[in-house]
Amino acid sequence: MSFLQPILLIGLPLALLPIIIHLINQHRHRTVKWAAMMFLLDAKKMTKGMARLRQILILAMRVLAVIALLFAASRPLAGGWLALTGGGADTVLILLDRSASMEQQNLESGKSKRVSALEKIAELTETTGSNAEIILIESATLTPTPVANAESLADLPQTAATATASDIPALLERGIDYLAVDESGRTDIWLVSDLRQNDWKTGSGKWQTIRANLSAKESARLFLLNYPDTDVRNLSLSVAEVERRKTPEGHQLVMDLKVRRNASAAETEETVRVEFTVNGTRTVEEIALSGEETLRLGHTIPLGDANMGETRGWGRVDLPADDNLADNTAYFVFDDEAVKKTVIVSADPTSADAIRAAAASALDSSGKYESYIIEPSRTAEIPWEETALLFWQAPLPEEGSTEAALLQQHAESGRALVLLPPDELSGESFLGFKWGEYLGKGEELLKVGWWRTESGLLANTRNGNPLPVGDLNVFQARANEGEIQPLLKLESGEVVIGKLISETQGPVYIWATLPRSNFSTLASDGIAFFVMIHRALDEGVAAVSPARTSDANSAALAGTPAAAPLDEMAIGDSLAAPGLLPAAFEYTTTDQSKRLLALNRPTSEDDLRIVDAEGISPLLEGVEFRKIRDEVENESSLASEIWRLFLVTMALALLFEAALCLPLPLEEKSEKPLGESSS
Amino acid sequence: MGLPLNARHAMLGSVSGRHRSPIRGSALEFAQYRKYVPGDDTRRLDWRTWGRTDRYYIKEFEADTNLRLCFIVDTSGSMGYGEKGKTRLDYAKSIVGTLAYLASQQGDAVGLYAGSKNDTDTSFSREIPPKRGPRHLGVMLDQVALLEASGETGLVEAIHQAAEKIAQRALIVIVSDLLFDVTPLQEAFQHLKFRKHDIVAFHLLDREEIEFDFDRPTRFLDLEGGPSLLADPALIRRRYQDAVKGYLDQVNQIVNQSVIDYHRTFLDESYEQALARFLVGRNPKTARSAR
Repeated sequence: MSFLQPILLIGLPLALLPIIIHLINQHRHRTVKWAAMMFLLDAKKMTKGMARLRQILILAMRVLAVIALLFAASRPLAGGWLALTGGGADTVLILLDRSASMEQQNLESGKSKRVSALEKIAELTETTGSNAEIILIESATLTPTPVANAESLADLPQTAATATASDIPALLERGIDYLAVDESGRTDIWLVSDLRQNDWKTGSGKWQTIRANLSAKESARLFLLNYPDTDVRNLSLSVAEVERRKTPEGHQLVMDLKVRRNASAAETEETVRVEFTVNGTRTVEEIALSGEETLRLGHTIPLGDANMGETRGWGRVDLPADDNLADNTAYFVFDDEAVKKTVIVSADPTSADAIRAAAASALDSSGKYESYIIEPSRTAEIPWEETALLFWQAPLPEEGSTEAALLQQHAESGRALVLLPPDELSGESFLGFKWGEYLGKGEELLKVGWWRTESGLLANTRNGNPLPVGDLNVFQARANEGEIQPLLKLESGEVVIGKLISETQGPVYIWATLPRSNFSTLASDGIAFFVMIHRALDEGVAAVSPARTSDANSAALAGTPAAAPLDEMAIGDSLAAPGLLPAAFEYTTTDQSKRLLALNRPTSEDDLRIVDAEGISPLLEGVEFRKIRDEVENESSLASEIWRLFLVTMALALLFEAALCLPLPLEEKSEKPLGESSS
Repeated sequence: MGLPLNARHAMLGSVSGRHRSPIRGSALEFAQYRKYVPGDDTRRLDWRTWGRTDRYYIKEFEADTNLRLCFIVDTSGSMGYGEKGKTRLDYAKSIVGTLAYLASQQGDAVGLYAGSKNDTDTSFSREIPPKRGPRHLGVMLDQVALLEASGETGLVEAIHQAAEKIAQRALIVIVSDLLFDVTPLQEAFQHLKFRKHDIVAFHLLDREEIEFDFDRPTRFLDLEGGPSLLADPALIRRRYQDAVKGYLDQVNQIVNQSVIDYHRTFLDESYEQALARFLVGRNPKTARSAR
């Protein structure tokens, strides 16, 4: 607790006055010669406990009244809900969740959760008159920024709205790292978040380190200023699978359109006015909403005469303004489809041929598919820039070698990579992954125990039917070590197909068995095999496509030199916060080809689930933190003067004291005066 | 003459007096007839009855005698309560002196037993056996004037001793504040009753002791030498009054069960008034109207 007039607290010893007066009074008693001692002794004996308690309560109330008066005069400050403020800190570290969901706003005030939190923290800092150094770390860039003036906190470009997702564990980790280097004195950490599950990543392994580090920092206090309210009238929009088609009726854009709304509004029937802009030309369409999620698969937009000849372009879809403006816009770009090129690095012709055949088979008649087999000794011939999917059936490259660097760059650039078990082990590891010995000798059947059906290469089809993975027979597979998300496991628990958990943008899969008769029936029971290859290929194609869509983040424009925003209406924003806001860009690659890029907020930001108190407690177990729940509608400041509260306390204490001092009524009232003879 | 002091029970006096005797005598008031038995004084034969019935009857008359008035005065420290010259003991002395004078004027014998626990338990500090005559009265009044309040209460023991010492029927007047555990008092009264004494108790109390109307912390010094007690009257008044009420209820119960003439007397009341109430209550002619 902090005070605006702390000097008055010097008077706190005055609280002892009632006790001193009581003691003096005790010594100033009169003396009386008394005969009826027997009644006195009886009365004393009977009232010993109660009288003493009463006396103590009276004194306590008097002391409390004096303390309350002194506190009230000292003008104490406290946060809403009586949360104590962080007055007296040397450093105030603000960890700001800058995700799109933080843009949920109060329509009357126009303030978003982000703005409201920043203003309140700024007000708190100013009200307390603290001279603390303010450091801001926001989730979009994780860069520490010193803030000279708390008043300007909400106006800084580093605190502006973004369409990104947050990684709260990474944000906290960055804050801890900053404190480890620059901490001086006591630090108040203000973590501002709307507690969305997708941002908090409760399953992240970072939490353990965060808990350990924070609990070890005795000089740091953590305040969790949270805005978990999701019960708002809000629609969110996302667009996927945009492609240009030529039909007998003319050219048209086909896309999957998804509009989400709150579960509380799911029962109502309503239509929403959706605005489509393609290459600057605007059309409007009414879409009827039903349920929580309205999905318009294959929604078509006829291209007008102006766009008839265009094979590439950009567009945006807008919803009318509502409680969150950050999820009302989705950008898209379109161009000729890229060649879906697969390269198989393998010395095993049987397996390689099976893969090549499956990868070259057209899943979509309009797409162009190519696949090549390259010997492991001739990896220099791999067309890295054009390859969407790379199968690597060779010993893992030596760490630090050119091959390893190229392979990592391939994955980091968003392309797909599948690691197949080599005949011989090199002992090397790649992105923390390492091959082990063979399981089985090719004779016994290793039964499939489980496979992931909700996502990944073996996920159920769109209509919910499972792939025939249960029919698959595995006879031989290589053990594997590393941080792997299992996609298919044997009954023994060994992972046969999995996805490497890594920081790379493109997926890295491991297949521990081969499409060869002595390894598995992948090739002979070809459905699952075919689907897996084409799903991996589709993921890789996005990176080599001349028109691709990506999630907005600070690294979204990496590798896109001189990216120019295409939407004139949003050029200013796009340049002010490059990569952090929804936009469409055009850039030129090193081979001078023109590429299109659409940045949108991650669809995970539409997930309204929050981490509740029971979810946060285990994450921050052992860490002393104060959770302050706020709402955008709440106008009260975090730090307010609470002298009234102390005055009320004083009044109540005095009232209680007066009540205690009242003489107690006799239990029974005799009809005649006490002492009158009955005879 | 004003209000006389009457005994409620028959008294066995040594001389003729104004109190009824259990022995038939030669007074003017007829008592009863009874059959003649050999040895009876033939002068008391009722010849008229013999003439009517041809049977011998003796005609008996009431005998009047004097009474023995014995005072048992509590002289414990608590009797010293009150302002100097107006203490409880002073009040007791007034009652004793007045009644002694009144009885003596009627020709009754008066005696005094006074003491407290710090005296030897075999004798009273003042013990004057009942005797008649103005000279004895003078001696007794001198002794009453010398009484002083001190020590713990020993009234119960005093009553038992007096019951043993006073051989013949007497009017026993007990003057005390009864500020002790009154439970054994009932047995003491029964002892006196067994000896066929007429018992009167003057229970002297101060209103302050009942109402306990103090307003600030006070140290109470025990008049009987016990430890002093510092108390805030405001805090204990209710319990104190509860204790007083319980005590008074117990006293009432004891005196009712023992059938004694009990007078609760407050020190702010004049002793003449208290005595008048007492005497009126004992006079058969005025008792009904007095009650």
